[in-house]
Amino acid sequence: MANTKEIKDRINSIKETQKITNAMYLISSTKLQKAKKDLEATEPYFFGMQAMVERLQRHLPDIKNPYFESYDELPDEEKTYAYLVVTADKGLAGSYNHNVLKLTEEEMSKHKNTKLFVVGELGRQYFESKHIPIDEQFQYTAQNPSLHRARMISLRMLELFTKHEIHALYIVYTVMINSMQTETMIQPLLPLKASIPDVSIPLDVYHEEFMLKPSPDAVINAVVPNCTNGYIYSALVESFCSEQNARMQAMQAANKSANSILHDLNIQYNRVRQAMITQEITEVCSGAKAQKKGKKAHERKHT
Amino acid sequence: MSDTFFFRIIASNGIFFEGKVQEILFRTIDGEVVLMSHHEEMIIAVDVGPLSYKTPDDQWHKAIAGVGTAQFANNRCTILLDTCELPENIDRARAEAALERAKEQARQKKSIVEYKMSQASIARALTRLKETSKRGLQ
Repeated sequence: MANTKEIKDRINSIKETQKITNAMYLISSTKLQKAKKDLEATEPYFFGMQAMVERLQRHLPDIKNPYFESYDELPDEEKTYAYLVVTADKGLAGSYNHNVLKLTEEEMSKHKNTKLFVVGELGRQYFESKHIPIDEQFQYTAQNPSLHRARMISLRMLELFTKHEIHALYIVYTVMINSMQTETMIQPLLPLKASIPDVSIPLDVYHEEFMLKPSPDAVINAVVPNCTNGYIYSALVESFCSEQNARMQAMQAANKSANSILHDLNIQYNRVRQAMITQEITEVCSGAKAQKKGKKAHERKHT
Repeated sequence: MSDTFFFRIIASNGIFFEGKVQEILFRTIDGEVVLMSHHEEMIIAVDVGPLSYKTPDDQWHKAIAGVGTAQFANNRCTILLDTCELPENIDRARAEAALERAKEQARQKKSIVEYKMSQASIARALTRLKETSKRGLQ
């Protein structure tokens, strides 16, 4: 059995760690409140945007536009797949970062030419340590997502896409399903898929026809950057919210397990202490007894 | 009372307006448009500029829109905008600072993307300033 000092040291060190995890728990829970508010405000926009893009794709006449270029004729080896990966700036968020990175690596292994754009310091360090090249000029933090940052990111992505440097763009991010559950997702952003032959609409149903003003091309050129920007912004907000949620849960779990370890250690400490006291008492008793016996024997000799 | 239709403005920071209106007026990439009820189904790109709508009580309301898209279908209109603000909520000092910054950036010779970016920021800042000064708010 370990001695009392060792156990005492262990208890103290766990208490210190618990102080940190508790503080992190409090910080992330306040941050989560803010992130949740932002998320709630952004959600109608996000869903509206998705519905809009879907509608646009459904009703679009068969036209040629750079944003709809699917590069199907190019062999897969000549295509470059870009991934916009949203991770956290810091670890200690449970499996949040791990899930994102795992999904990214899985997707990347499917294609030969890939390009990585990583938001968040942790993801950057992870890929650097694995010697997977990432875009160096792409230095954005995952903290407090803003429209401005989303604009910068989407402009750069669209520029690369129109210059044919990348042929497809995917975004890897995390969505909040509810306050307990999050899910890592991968979503294609570019190119937009032009009207998939729709079999679900019967012929006798009125199929609304949209007028695109001033011209389909002009509308697409104005709408696509907007949608990409909106999508990226919403994904950043979703991810940030999920990150705080994951961190809060991880810290809560850490607090809990620290408490249970402390409980066990306290019992062990008390037992050791009790054993020591018992031993001392036994020693004193037996010592006294021995002395008594010795005295009696001594007295008997002299009488 | 003239015909009304359902109108909704969704900005990236929340639903800005939701309700019945008689007509709406906003700026597109090639000029201003007015939409009234039973308009043809359409999708229009909205440009930075003033946006107004007339509620059933014959009152015009004004807002300042960022870029986005408007769609009209089944006598409902939805506008998705990156930003949408009330003129009285605009911080003139902030808009002025943004204009200054954007102009500074535009002066430096940079890539096309950065040029577009600074042009867009200039447009946003100028609209904000113009709309607030019209109302005499300083």
